[in-house]
Amino acid sequence: MKRTVPLIISFIVGVVMVGEFFIPHYRYRAVTSELLEWGLILAAGAFILGLVNLIQVNLPVVMQKKEDWGYKLVMIITLVVTLGIGLYSGTGRQDDGQNYKWLFDYMFVPLNATMFALLAFYIASAAFRAFRARNLEATLLLAAAILVMLARVPIGEAIPVIGDYLPKVMNWIMDVPNIAGRRAIFIGAALGAVSTGLRVILGLERSHLGGE
Amino acid sequence: MITLPLTSVLLTATPLTATHLTAGSLIGIWVSIFLTLAIFSFLYEDNPIYKLAEHIFLGISIAIGATEIYYGVFKPNLIDKLAEGRLLSIIPLILLVMLLLKMTKKFDYMAKVPIAFIVAAFAGVKLTGEANANLMTQVAQSMPNLPEVYREHGIWSWDADGAGVFSSIFLVLGLCACLLHFYFSAKQTKSMAVVSKIGIIVLMLSFGASFGYTVMGRISLAIGRAQELLGLDKPPIDVTITSGGDPINRMSLVRMISFGTLILVIVFLAVWQKRRTQSEE
Amino acid sequence: MYQLLKRFQSMDRRWVFLGMALAIVIPTLYPVHFPTKVDERVQSLYDRIDQLEAGDTVFVSADFDPASRPELEPFFRANLHHMFSRDVNIVIGSLWPFAPPLVTPMIEDLATQHGGVYGEDYAFLGFKLGNELAIKMIGDDILKAFPVDSRENVTADLPIMSGIRQAQDFELIVSVSAGFPGTREYVLQIQGQYDLEIASSTTAVSTPDYVPFYKAGQLFGLAGGMPGSAHYEQLVYRDYPVEGVRMMATQALDVLNLGHLYIIILIVFGNIAFFLTREVEE
Repeated sequence: MKRTVPLIISFIVGVVMVGEFFIPHYRYRAVTSELLEWGLILAAGAFILGLVNLIQVNLPVVMQKKEDWGYKLVMIITLVVTLGIGLYSGTGRQDDGQNYKWLFDYMFVPLNATMFALLAFYIASAAFRAFRARNLEATLLLAAAILVMLARVPIGEAIPVIGDYLPKVMNWIMDVPNIAGRRAIFIGAALGAVSTGLRVILGLERSHLGGE
Repeated sequence: MITLPLTSVLLTATPLTATHLTAGSLIGIWVSIFLTLAIFSFLYEDNPIYKLAEHIFLGISIAIGATEIYYGVFKPNLIDKLAEGRLLSIIPLILLVMLLLKMTKKFDYMAKVPIAFIVAAFAGVKLTGEANANLMTQVAQSMPNLPEVYREHGIWSWDADGAGVFSSIFLVLGLCACLLHFYFSAKQTKSMAVVSKIGIIVLMLSFGASFGYTVMGRISLAIGRAQELLGLDKPPIDVTITSGGDPINRMSLVRMISFGTLILVIVFLAVWQKRRTQSEE
Repeated sequence: MYQLLKRFQSMDRRWVFLGMALAIVIPTLYPVHFPTKVDERVQSLYDRIDQLEAGDTVFVSADFDPASRPELEPFFRANLHHMFSRDVNIVIGSLWPFAPPLVTPMIEDLATQHGGVYGEDYAFLGFKLGNELAIKMIGDDILKAFPVDSRENVTADLPIMSGIRQAQDFELIVSVSAGFPGTREYVLQIQGQYDLEIASSTTAVSTPDYVPFYKAGQLFGLAGGMPGSAHYEQLVYRDYPVEGVRMMATQALDVLNLGHLYIIILIVFGNIAFFLTREVEE
């Protein structure tokens, strides 16, 4: 019973959603719109689950003063304070002078941006230490990469003689072998998605429902 | 293609009368630069100020996400509708409560219903989307109209970046070779090995292009940070810190703060490294 | 020589990081300009937007965060400027939770410059979580997806939304996308079903993935990464100039020159050292 009801719901919802593509009737669309809205709410609920889980995992570390408990405490305090300010500030939270806006502009933006900016340095390190033209395939990969890197910036186009042809060759790589490779991957992924989708809807795939 | 010379309009900005920088903004600029350099300090080594910044980031990002989700989803699509007396909205509320029961040990089995709902909804939607846009459209577009291509571009046209009959046939053969490589990689007869090799070559060119773009993307992110640390993210207007005080160029102010904070961070790292070495000895 | 090459190959990666930092900071401080050719995909995007007429309504999906801001903000600003200059009505929505606080000031800034009236000339519907489900809802019934806008006005009551119920009621869609969910999901979920015209500005990382969509006609334009934003900026501010405009992507493109050269040098010298030492070892 614990599994049967979810499987029946899977089937009904899945079939209705697949039907949405084929049935443009407004009454049918009203039903699917409603189901989609419920899906949005549940997706948001999953995020809240994640938030609660984060606190559930880290609060005991703080209470028991385990390793790095100070950092976990800072994290929890930041979370609670920001959430409190955000919920309290209401619709005007993004207006100038608001604390929420200050937190976003001066704390979240630099942290988020810099975390990803670190990758530029790691890619430089990887380029130097790991990217070796050991065989034909690796050589082709590196050659294509170097060509794209040169052709995509103005300095590449400014190189005498070959500068005119670099962007053309790069565009050819993007338009022909890149599309061939990507389409093969897309087609494979699409076949996988279709088969997995069917398995979920038909109840053959049950791993998301966990044990009994 | 049009060649557009870069003109002097790029970097000009009409200086405005000095605007007053509030204490909040000034502190904010310093905090922003400190947190940026704290994260960058990880490039030297994992250290306490990086860990601090990382944990602040975790806390603040989840909080902002939750806040926006509340105002973006829960309030308009659930709470307001329930407040208006819309009875149908009770169903997603019940499903939501069942989902949140996953946090408990006793009733976590009840979360299976909303999980089944959401997984099936995504499965149904992805199934048709992938089948239509990726399978059908992409496959259809892979079948070139060779006579028309020949009329337009001939065998090979440099003006059209290599478009032509050769490229069209190369694309189709390359696509088939890649597909065969993926799906028949278990059994390698001699002819299949050749086809597989061609598929790998095409894939390597594709991944090479990807790598080139990835490098560009990553460096672009770092450029953004450099612009902010050097005060180039905003117009170089004059600002005053104290009311009635002398105006200072914002860009210069930011650079001074960046330099000062960099020195602070370097000193901290040096002291921390020294203490760590001493404690290890 | 062999020892030198071995030491070179195994040198502390922090020297590589320092080199990367210099390759970014030096050209940022002392930029060297080179002319650049506009990409055909960007030209195609620009031309279609330039064909829009006064009163047309366009949906812009702002799906990026601070991390992708250097690549996408210049395009976003230039695109809004382009459409405001043509008296096009702009409805903006977002599928990323970190986008609204980021894009709201940009939207207000540009609307103020053009004297735009909220609710009549432009509207920001806010953020909706749900990935493909949210996009499907935008396709089916955008008023149900966004019952209120970011200012808590009832969306259906906004004059700009008059006659707009579904995605196909918009003249076209511009997806400013940093990843998932974004352009790919728009193309997969609603482009084919409703035969929509969609253009994309995306990060460099995603650009190779979207080129097949462009070639298949599923996207009418594609501005990829910093160069895409820079090319679009240059086209827009050439035809719709603004006094003292800061073309951030175009500035950044000059910095990219040295960055890319540095990476190429690392790859080349790394391989030279590798092959020379391997020869000696063999």
